[in-house]
Amino acid sequence: MDFLNPVINGFSVVLEPTNLLYCLVGVVIGMLIGVLPGLGPAATIAILLPLTYGVEPVTAIIMLAGIFYGAQYGGTITSVLLRLPGEASSVVTVFDGYQMARQGRAGTALGLAAIGSFVGGTAAIIGLTFLAPLVASFALDFGPPEYSALALLGILLVATISSGAKAKALIAAAIGLLLATVGRDMFTGESRFTFGSLQLADGIDFVPIAMGIFGLGEILYNLEERHRAAKAPSKVSNVWPSKGDLKQASGAVGRGSVLGFFLGILPGGGATIASMASYAMEKKRAKQPERFGKGAPEGVAGPETANNAAATSSFIPLLTLGIPANATMALMFGALLIQGVTPGPQLVEQNPELFWGVVNSMYIGNILLLIMSLPLVGIFVRILRVRAAILAPITALITLLGAYTINNSMFDVTLVVVFGVVGYLMKKFGFEPGPLVLAFVLGELLENSLRRSLLVFGGDPTGFLTRPISATLLLVFVLVAVLPGIRSLMAKRKGAAPAGTTNKIEEKV
Amino acid sequence: MKHFPTRRAVLGTASAFTLLALTACGGNVAGGTAANTSKYPTGPVTLTVGQAAGGSTDLIARALAEGATKTLGAPMPVVNKPGANGALATKEVAGKPADGQELVLLTASLITITPLAVSEDEAVNIDDLDVIAGLSQDDYVLVASTDSGFKSFKDVTDAGRNVTFGTTGVGTGSQLAQTVLFKQANVQGTDVPFDSGKPALTAVMGNQVELATIQLGEAMPQIEAGKVAPLLVFSEERNSFLPDVPSAKEAGYDVPVAQYRAVAAPKGTPQDVKDKLLAAFQETFKTDAYKEFNEKNMLTPKELSGEEVVTEWKGYAAKYKELVEKYDISLSGNK
Repeated sequence: MDFLNPVINGFSVVLEPTNLLYCLVGVVIGMLIGVLPGLGPAATIAILLPLTYGVEPVTAIIMLAGIFYGAQYGGTITSVLLRLPGEASSVVTVFDGYQMARQGRAGTALGLAAIGSFVGGTAAIIGLTFLAPLVASFALDFGPPEYSALALLGILLVATISSGAKAKALIAAAIGLLLATVGRDMFTGESRFTFGSLQLADGIDFVPIAMGIFGLGEILYNLEERHRAAKAPSKVSNVWPSKGDLKQASGAVGRGSVLGFFLGILPGGGATIASMASYAMEKKRAKQPERFGKGAPEGVAGPETANNAAATSSFIPLLTLGIPANATMALMFGALLIQGVTPGPQLVEQNPELFWGVVNSMYIGNILLLIMSLPLVGIFVRILRVRAAILAPITALITLLGAYTINNSMFDVTLVVVFGVVGYLMKKFGFEPGPLVLAFVLGELLENSLRRSLLVFGGDPTGFLTRPISATLLLVFVLVAVLPGIRSLMAKRKGAAPAGTTNKIEEKV
Repeated sequence: MKHFPTRRAVLGTASAFTLLALTACGGNVAGGTAANTSKYPTGPVTLTVGQAAGGSTDLIARALAEGATKTLGAPMPVVNKPGANGALATKEVAGKPADGQELVLLTASLITITPLAVSEDEAVNIDDLDVIAGLSQDDYVLVASTDSGFKSFKDVTDAGRNVTFGTTGVGTGSQLAQTVLFKQANVQGTDVPFDSGKPALTAVMGNQVELATIQLGEAMPQIEAGKVAPLLVFSEERNSFLPDVPSAKEAGYDVPVAQYRAVAAPKGTPQDVKDKLLAAFQETFKTDAYKEFNEKNMLTPKELSGEEVVTEWKGYAAKYKELVEKYDISLSGNK
């Protein structure tokens, strides 16, 4: 089994003491911010990006990945104990988790969530292990035309599938595309939107945008909200769920793993959508749906499994295609670029240590989380008592210091402040920051690949259709763009509400 | 009072520090006089690099700084300030006090080629700097994809069709070398710019473009693996790391393009400071560690004096200007 060799080598990478330590640090930070409402994994990763600058790429990504999936565990704790979802992906856990806690079964709920998360996460890693080399075997066939098609598909999916208002998502994405054009034109050397400043000659760096919009923007926004003081959590006992509970939840865990895995791969998908879909599915399947919302164990186990499976599987499009599926993955993309690693089909071939090191670190991280999450519940809940007035200035300071260290440039610090204000205003007026950042990342890829392809094709756009991979991707693009329209047309014929139709048409844009 | 040494004491200390700092600055401004320079270096000597950490320019700076820290007797931290092909960092250092405490790692392409692609105020003038020492030569090699069937440059000229070639970006040596070469050889080519050497090389391996010109150190692993075929090196003589590949000159073309690197200080740095720096660098060049570094990264030592560097680079700048004018080449856009 030649294919297993690099996988096993990956384990030796993870088991290096430094990497183990960073993995632990990552998951602990992840759980911590998972507990804190407001500060999400995207913001945390944005703030901590510069800290990873001095370490090896593998180590850096292991830590950042740990933050991401660790947050999925942490978010559950406050959902169950305090009815305060720490993460968007744990919102549905509140319904049954908090009810279980009120019935004195908080331990069972947390135990089920932890076990479900572990199973979901592990199942997704196994999927990743087998799927990635398959995609990577096409690596050299991925040229500029394929990347243009992929980026196009990515932007479409991101703008249409994202949660929140479609029109606002599209506006944010358009701003992201516009920002991506700033800088010296790669093909002609012409300066675009630089206003004569050499600082802008290379365009706007991804990191200050991410740190500003996600990091500083979140901090500013949170200052506005007064979180209610944390109450003493209900006592947590008998953490290991009973056999009956386990049996009841096992189906939900299995279905959640599969559902989460596939929803995580889709661009625009991710942990939040996966957890909601799983909750809906469990409720639909249940023989007594009325139990849901009153402390049904499946209502906790399903979504918690799905959100972890999705968090893990959303690494697949990033690591194998170089296409970030959601905002957090866009930050991972940025982190890899800072380290001089371009994610894409070549990654598995050219950088097997990095690839398998990161993938295998997730096994270890999930085990660490399973071990830690239960004994540490009490400590994490206490963190909630730290007042925002203390936490916010410290995080803001770390953000700005970090921004300076990337390029040793005060200009970047100014950019962070500007984008922090932009991020704050966006949140305040209901614009999701995700589409902006994703479009910014993909926009550059789209423009450069498209122009490069047209040069290679001698200006003939039909060239895209002569290459099997790009032709297939474009077909999928057309299907995704047209399908909602066709569906609503059919619905119209059946005499469905016309209100839905107008929305669907907007989606196509 | 004893419990609060505070405001007055703090103010006092602060003003003392301010005074001290002002005095120190004064010393720097007067740095041109011989009296002060005998004590050089007075602290860490910063070496600024206009490229991101981890690239070949950065690695060279770090190898040099490591040696020079010992030979100069002062720490030499490397600071990366990427932006505008290095123009940002170079312009910044050029504006610093000329006391030898601030150096910049200069790439020749910034002086000789970039001005051909960007507007005048974005370009860097070598006369704004005092070049201390030349470092090394990094050769460009023209490689062909295996599917293209090109084994030598003659195959390309005989093909009699339009070829696609990848460059490492607009205003780079890679672009200049190829566009001039194809004009001289009467080959029709389409210029496809990539962000840097690595994606250009990958595109050749995947046969998305047929040719590309890449720095030797980057292309070597794939050349050795037989994934791409080396056709020409652009240096005036054959490269010692690729002895079987002809130079462009041998093949009958006049395109001497390579990347050279040097260390420079702000204009007006006192002569004895420059001498001290040069001596420290020359001692570093002799160390085994530095020689090994060059060998490993396929860099040919080109350890010239500052004056020689300026003359040579100005010569290249004039030569390239003449070549692009002669063949009516525009580095921005395709012609």
